[in-house]
Amino acid sequence: MLSWLANKTTPLSHIVQAFNQTTLPAGSVRAADCPFLVVDLELTGLNARQDHILSLGWVPVRQYEIVLSEARHYLVHSPVSVGQSAIFHGLHDKDFKQARDLAEVLTELMQTYAGYIFVAHHCQLDLRFLEVACQRIFGKAAKFSFIDTLNMELYRLHKQGIVMKTDALRLPQCLQRHKLPQSDQHHALADAYSCALLLLSQLKHSHADITLADLQLQSR
Amino acid sequence: MEVAEVTTFLAGTTPFDQLDAARLASLAANISVYYCQNGETVQLNTERLMIVRTGIFALYSDQQTLLTKLEQGDFYGYQLLLTGLSDNDSLVCEEDGLVYWLPADAFHQLRYQYKNIDIFFQRLFSRRLHQYKAQQQNLRFTLKISDIVQARKIAIDGEQSVQQAAALMTEKRVSSLLVEQNEQLIGIVTDRDLRSRVLAADLPAQTPVRQVMTAKPYSIDKHAYLFEAVQLMSRHNVHHLPVLDKQQSYSMITATDIIRSQQDHPVYLIGEIHRQTSIDGLEHCASQISSLALTLGKQQVPAHEAGHIITTITDALTQRLIALAQLELGPPPCVFSWLAFGSQGRMDQSLNADQDNALLLEKEPVAEVATYFAALADFVCQGLARCGIILCPGNIMASNSDLRLSLKGWSGQFARWVTTPTPQALLKSSIFFDLRVIEGSKGLFNALQQDILAKTSDNPLFLYHLAQTALQRSAPLSFLRNFILEHDGKQKKGLDLKKRGISLITDIVRVYALSAGISEINTRQRLVQLANNGVMDSKDTQNLSDAFDVLTQLRWDKHQHDLLQGHDVSNLLDPNVLSGLQRHQLKDSLTVINDAQSSLKHRFCRDL
Repeated sequence: MLSWLANKTTPLSHIVQAFNQTTLPAGSVRAADCPFLVVDLELTGLNARQDHILSLGWVPVRQYEIVLSEARHYLVHSPVSVGQSAIFHGLHDKDFKQARDLAEVLTELMQTYAGYIFVAHHCQLDLRFLEVACQRIFGKAAKFSFIDTLNMELYRLHKQGIVMKTDALRLPQCLQRHKLPQSDQHHALADAYSCALLLLSQLKHSHADITLADLQLQSR
Repeated sequence: MEVAEVTTFLAGTTPFDQLDAARLASLAANISVYYCQNGETVQLNTERLMIVRTGIFALYSDQQTLLTKLEQGDFYGYQLLLTGLSDNDSLVCEEDGLVYWLPADAFHQLRYQYKNIDIFFQRLFSRRLHQYKAQQQNLRFTLKISDIVQARKIAIDGEQSVQQAAALMTEKRVSSLLVEQNEQLIGIVTDRDLRSRVLAADLPAQTPVRQVMTAKPYSIDKHAYLFEAVQLMSRHNVHHLPVLDKQQSYSMITATDIIRSQQDHPVYLIGEIHRQTSIDGLEHCASQISSLALTLGKQQVPAHEAGHIITTITDALTQRLIALAQLELGPPPCVFSWLAFGSQGRMDQSLNADQDNALLLEKEPVAEVATYFAALADFVCQGLARCGIILCPGNIMASNSDLRLSLKGWSGQFARWVTTPTPQALLKSSIFFDLRVIEGSKGLFNALQQDILAKTSDNPLFLYHLAQTALQRSAPLSFLRNFILEHDGKQKKGLDLKKRGISLITDIVRVYALSAGISEINTRQRLVQLANNGVMDSKDTQNLSDAFDVLTQLRWDKHQHDLLQGHDVSNLLDPNVLSGLQRHQLKDSLTVINDAQSSLKHRFCRDL
């Protein structure tokens, strides 16, 4: 189970350190030239201190293209039973036979996608769980740079003078509004892919020279 | 790791639909997804295959004419990938959409591994996709006993005599009988049993059937498959099998029935038609045409063969009606030929065809000749109408006195159309040039046909006008989602497969055939002749023939569907119901027609 540790010659905290030290694109960089990694987590609950990550899915977007060859989906071992949350994500204890250690998955994520701008729909939750997980596993807080398609959508609609109920900002409703194909919900990779489609549509409907700083501003 | 949304889409897209789940997943893993915005020009300089996921893309030639529009499931970029040559077409997004990009190496690997996918793209490239056939299973093997035998229990009690058995067999025109006792099957007796076990053994005529019958015969349930009957017969070397329904005698199936079923039902139906002695009887026979059509459909008989079969039945009905008319009216006062025009003439009749017929007479239609054939024509046309072949709305029928002419009369009529052609007259008369003799004198008919061909071939003025007529209607440019895309960019619902497709090909081919004096009238056979005689390029005739097959097949399928739903059959196709491959093939066929029309124009309509 801890085999991933055997090959590690560097202390665990160095993984985080290397990740944090990689230069991120400057705010003035055009979104088209900015590498994005769209992530989604399935969780046992909403409290980062008490609940756990069940699965991670991600897919990178470079030059406005979703690169499916790098799409990943991992189930992770959870210290507790999946229990009641199975109602939402459809993952049951029996599904976790092929699961990996969260440490292993996070290592791959942070080593491969250092220097990427992370993207999620309603990113606060994903960000908090990732931060807590890094602190626990590597003993050091990782600095993720996220933009949020939900807030970008809210900004876009506000700008058009459209008032929306919060419900209308959920991912399926956003996909529908952007006339994008719907996927199974609550599958980490399917949701990450949907979120990536939404990101592309949002970027294409912004002005051509939109910068990373603009996106970060819209994500607040 | 696969994104289900992407693999699901690919699994439903021709030609990837033939890949297994594992291969689909690895195909999907090679793809990059791009969002394209209205007005954006798609970058075509890279060597990748473009697969349209959503949205609409208009393809323009370097002269900025609209070539076609791409939609979900369409491809672009295979041209460059297959040939290494780029054209100057441009692709402009007209409605926001998603594009999948497949890199060149993945595309080539797929072609290398899957022959059928390679063929698909090669044909898409040469616009010969209509020749691509998805691998289909042979449904002939799934026919059931109940599909070919009807409830027809002809039984005799075991205690009755062999003489009575022979009498019953003669009366019912069968070669075997079921033998029963207390309503239970106990044996069968055949022609051969009567010969070898009665006559040869010199048994008296009063011998009870049970003494000579084959007891406890092999039998088969009516729900069994036909091939099971074949197996049973060949394994036990028998030619008759009792058919049971819930253990009760239902019918008998013979080796002959099976052979007949393999050659399809029409043999049976046509035999029946020729046995009828009244119009009522013929009407009853004709009522079986729609169920016959469904059987042919089940057996996956190709549409052009089915068209041939339906025509043969109409011919048989016509012939029988003429015979019945003669029984009523007495022998004809002179030799005549009954002619059929249009689809019956060309032997590609569909289920909703109307009558197009006429009479060619040895003598001038005056006095006794006129009254006799007026009565005969009336009898036959009304009879056909009762058999479901509706009266011609344009009155192109033998019952119209203008269409009962002598050889001289017809020759003069054709001469008027040929020597002083007007577009209006030709529009109405073009179907007269597809004529065939159904009954009566072949010699009389041949004389007329030779006369017509001599007038039409190498007659540029006539051919000019006939070609103009053929060009009056055009096929749509393409279609998009549920709409037909017209040349002016407008969109319409529904495609009339006959008016906007099949007829156009028939019209084009007729011009070429008449120009070359070819006496064939069936469109596919005309095309074969045109290629053989070097009148048309064999690639073009093949393309037209394939497009014709695609369109007649779609119409045939549509008619079958209408029959099953209990609707009247109609030629109006909703593009929405098409499968991925059918969409590609139909689009391709429309292109073939548009190209053939411009060739026709070029060849026959240049300044005189």
